[in-house]
Amino acid sequence: MKAVLFAVAALLAVCIPISAKQCNVNPVNIPKGWITMQQSCRGSMRRQIQTEVGASLQYLAMGAHFSRDGINRPGFAKLFFDAASEEREHAMKLIDYLLMRGELETDVTSLIQIRAPERKSWESGVDALEHALKMETEVTKSIRSVIIACESDPKFNDYHLVDYLTGEFLEEQYKGQRDLAGKASTLKKMLDRHSSLGEFLFDKKLLGMDI
Amino acid sequence: MKMFAFLFGCMLASGAFAADTCYQDVSMDCGQASNSLALPRCNAVFGNYGRHGNVATEMQAYANLHLERSYEYLLSASYYNNYQTNRAGFSKLFRKLSDEAWEKSIELIKHITKRGDTMDFARRSTQEEKTDKNYTVELHELESLAKALDTQKELAERAFYIHREATRNSPHTHDPEIAQYLEEEFVEKQADTIRNLAGHTADLKKFILANNGQDLSLALYLFDEYLQKVV
Repeated sequence: MKAVLFAVAALLAVCIPISAKQCNVNPVNIPKGWITMQQSCRGSMRRQIQTEVGASLQYLAMGAHFSRDGINRPGFAKLFFDAASEEREHAMKLIDYLLMRGELETDVTSLIQIRAPERKSWESGVDALEHALKMETEVTKSIRSVIIACESDPKFNDYHLVDYLTGEFLEEQYKGQRDLAGKASTLKKMLDRHSSLGEFLFDKKLLGMDI
Repeated sequence: MKMFAFLFGCMLASGAFAADTCYQDVSMDCGQASNSLALPRCNAVFGNYGRHGNVATEMQAYANLHLERSYEYLLSASYYNNYQTNRAGFSKLFRKLSDEAWEKSIELIKHITKRGDTMDFARRSTQEEKTDKNYTVELHELESLAKALDTQKELAERAFYIHREATRNSPHTHDPEIAQYLEEEFVEKQADTIRNLAGHTADLKKFILANNGQDLSLALYLFDEYLQKVV
């Protein structure tokens, strides 16, 4: 009898911790009818997030370049480091939007890849501003392609996302582009006859310093 | 005579650096007939930074590691904010880790250029273990805390490694500036973060074991509410 009890006790001792050691809560079923985003729209949004991340890394490389001792343009460096953080924030805003719409339940890990930025050096401040303007133009173009993918799905015109992208993102893009174009133009005019002094002064202006 | 010997000694001792002067470049080139003014030695490099040892390359790799971790933590924060996981506290915790790593990568880039070097975004550390191809952010609560604890320890131990390389007793690699930068800006804060994450895993461990696991689902809910307050 004792042996049987011991065997039962031993069995329980072995079994209970195994069956009890569950470290997570089982997933639950929630109705999915509210999740309305379509495949092509979702795909283009995901690519857009990677585009914004890529732009953030390219801006970091610009910031790094203008921080160099031999280049010494802290104002440009600040402008580009700030732009890098802004691009990262754009990526986060797009992610938050996807989450609001019931997305990113799976395939989250593959959303972002980190690659070293393509370009590492710039001839001058104007060169970098014009490159930045070109980059922003590309980003604007790709946001437009997301809009097209999301409004032209035959099953579902995603009005709300299209409105969000048009109202918030395109607005910011156009303002940003105008700002970069204005800066490039002012700087280029200053360089006309006084190239190194012009860039020096403009750099301090970017730093918020009055000379 | 003694005075002369002393001066001569000083000149010998500092010879390695004294030969390397910006001033010589300037006086050589200024007033010359040529139009060039290259001044190759007028730079921010001092104390052999980037010339000997691996401190400079490890600093580049350290910036890249922060960059990578920053975006990984951002993905974890996103995962915990989907409607299924719906753990706002865990999301907030990862978001904070992401923000901190992002800021640190920018600071590291600035520091690298402060020391007269350039940033190399492709640089990897010699200490880096093989990248995990099966890496995923889609983990349950305890797993994700475990992963965060491991990656934070990796960041801290990498700082220790660079510090060790910078403080080796050799005139070629000793770099007190890098050592104190790591001490002041990295290791102290890292110890706090590691301690907090270890504490979180200890709490979750107790909840999982307690009451034959009956507490778990409610415990995770409460713990997430707690994280929303303390992070």
